[in-house]
Amino acid sequence: MIQMKNVSKIYLNGARALVDVNLKIDKGEFVFLVGPSGAGKSTIIKLFYRDETPTRGQVQINGKNLVRMKDREVPYLRRSIGVIFQDFKLLPNKTVFENVAFALEVIGVSKSEVKTRTRVTLDLVGLAGKEKSFPHELSGGEQQRVCVARAIINNPALLVADEPTGNLDPETAWGIMDLLYNINKRGTTVVMATHARNIVDKMQKRVIAIESGRVARDEEKGGYGYDA
Amino acid sequence: MTLNSTLYVLRETGHSMKRNPWLSIASVLTVMVSLVILGFSVFFLANASNMAKSFESQLEIATFVQSSATPAQVQALQSQIKTMPGVASVTLVTKEQALVDFGKTMGGSQSSLVTDLGGTNPFPDKLTVKATDPKTVEALANKVSALAGVDKVRYGQGYVDKLLEFTQWLRWIGLGVVVAFGIAAIVLISINVKMNVFSRRREIQIMKLVGASNSFVRWPFLIEGLALGLVGGALAAGIVGVGYNWITNYVQSTLTFLPVVQNMLLFRQVTVGLLLVGMAMGAIGSGVSLQKFLRNS
Ligand SMILES: Nc1ncnc2c1ncn2[C@@H]1O[C@H](COP(=O)(O)OP(=O)(O)OP(=O)(O)O)[C@@H](O)[C@H]1O
Ligand SMILES: [Mg+2]
Repeated sequence: MIQMKNVSKIYLNGARALVDVNLKIDKGEFVFLVGPSGAGKSTIIKLFYRDETPTRGQVQINGKNLVRMKDREVPYLRRSIGVIFQDFKLLPNKTVFENVAFALEVIGVSKSEVKTRTRVTLDLVGLAGKEKSFPHELSGGEQQRVCVARAIINNPALLVADEPTGNLDPETAWGIMDLLYNINKRGTTVVMATHARNIVDKMQKRVIAIESGRVARDEEKGGYGYDA
Repeated sequence: MTLNSTLYVLRETGHSMKRNPWLSIASVLTVMVSLVILGFSVFFLANASNMAKSFESQLEIATFVQSSATPAQVQALQSQIKTMPGVASVTLVTKEQALVDFGKTMGGSQSSLVTDLGGTNPFPDKLTVKATDPKTVEALANKVSALAGVDKVRYGQGYVDKLLEFTQWLRWIGLGVVVAFGIAAIVLISINVKMNVFSRRREIQIMKLVGASNSFVRWPFLIEGLALGLVGGALAAGIVGVGYNWITNYVQSTLTFLPVVQNMLLFRQVTVGLLLVGMAMGAIGSGVSLQKFLRNS
């Protein structure tokens, strides 16, 4: 599913975010990316949906080489990847319904199909009844769920999440994790960067630890690992 | 582009026009001004060249025959000139006719006029030669004056050239003004679109992150530019149409001797042309800002 070979990333300002990273993630896996702040977790995730390109090395998703990929192919890559952003990236002047439907409108799905699929997805994330609300009228957890709904509405083969529980109370955070767990059960590969120790420890999934831009640890059914 | 995307695009276009109405109005007005000038210039030039033509067609070469020539010789000369290439017509005004005409303008009787003029008719026989092409008048006049029996020729030397030169100048000045305003309009539209792109950059970023293609992002802005240009063009077409009608009616009722072009085909061509040029300005204006924006995002 995902393959990174000798990937290094140096940002324009000279920051060395990744150093010679090698990774392989299979279809259907659930993977946590952990590590201290500034380690390079977000950078890895951005490489997946080609928000960034590596300075050296290769990134492959579903056999597609993202380095050699032409700009006009990028939209198609992104349609096959759902992204949950830490800052939600919702449009403030659009309702919950419109924000989620957006991901379908953008790719030209018919109006009636947009309607039914958006309904179903909002139901799935527990936002039925909030369709007409605007983002600023929602709690942080509800906004995060809108973001999840938008990320999964296309039935992506890969779901990447950058600290999706970052600003949420434990109970709401577990609600989001439930969602991701179920989506993964349906066959979607999930990669999630997080600092949430208890979540990582409890889920018993593969854990990849990044430190100073390098893979420091990679274990099946791992724990968060760092001392509190 | 599916129907759904199209509807989406149209909705977005409406939103963005509402966002900064003053800039939209300014863009529309500059388009309008530049196209009004363009439209009137076209009509003005059409009239100028029409006028030049009608003046030119009145241009004739007055050929004065030597006073020693007999009527038979005059007639031979007339038919000789008639066969020359580039000659449309030759009419004879005999010295007697000239005297009559002169008398008419002076009043009084013919016989007393001859007496007053010293007992002889001072007028020579005159052949009025009309050329088929006004540009050949000068060459033709030279040829005619070289013929045997011709005393001298007179024609509107330099007159044609000056008129043509004048319309030529008008053409350049009109073009210059139109281009200047056209550039201003394109710049304003591109600022307009750029501001909308800027105010929606977050939205655009998110659109692209969820997989919108560049063209999908581009359409609303392109259509916005087109709409601005089209509205400007339509206003200009209206102003030029109504204005030109009014002016021609006015001129025809007051300056009846001035020939005025009232050509429905030209009228339609100019109107449609203004709409098209307006849309083109809109498309160029938004295209310029989008090209830059989408390349580095
Ligand atoms: N756009 C950028 N331009 C320049 N440097 C950047 C950029 N994004 C990240 N960096 C740098 O790259 C390094 C890795 O950043 P990254 O965001 O990947 O860390 P992270 O592991 O996600 O941290 P956190 O846990 O705090 O989110 C940091 O040193 C950061 O300052
Ligand atoms: Mg991060």
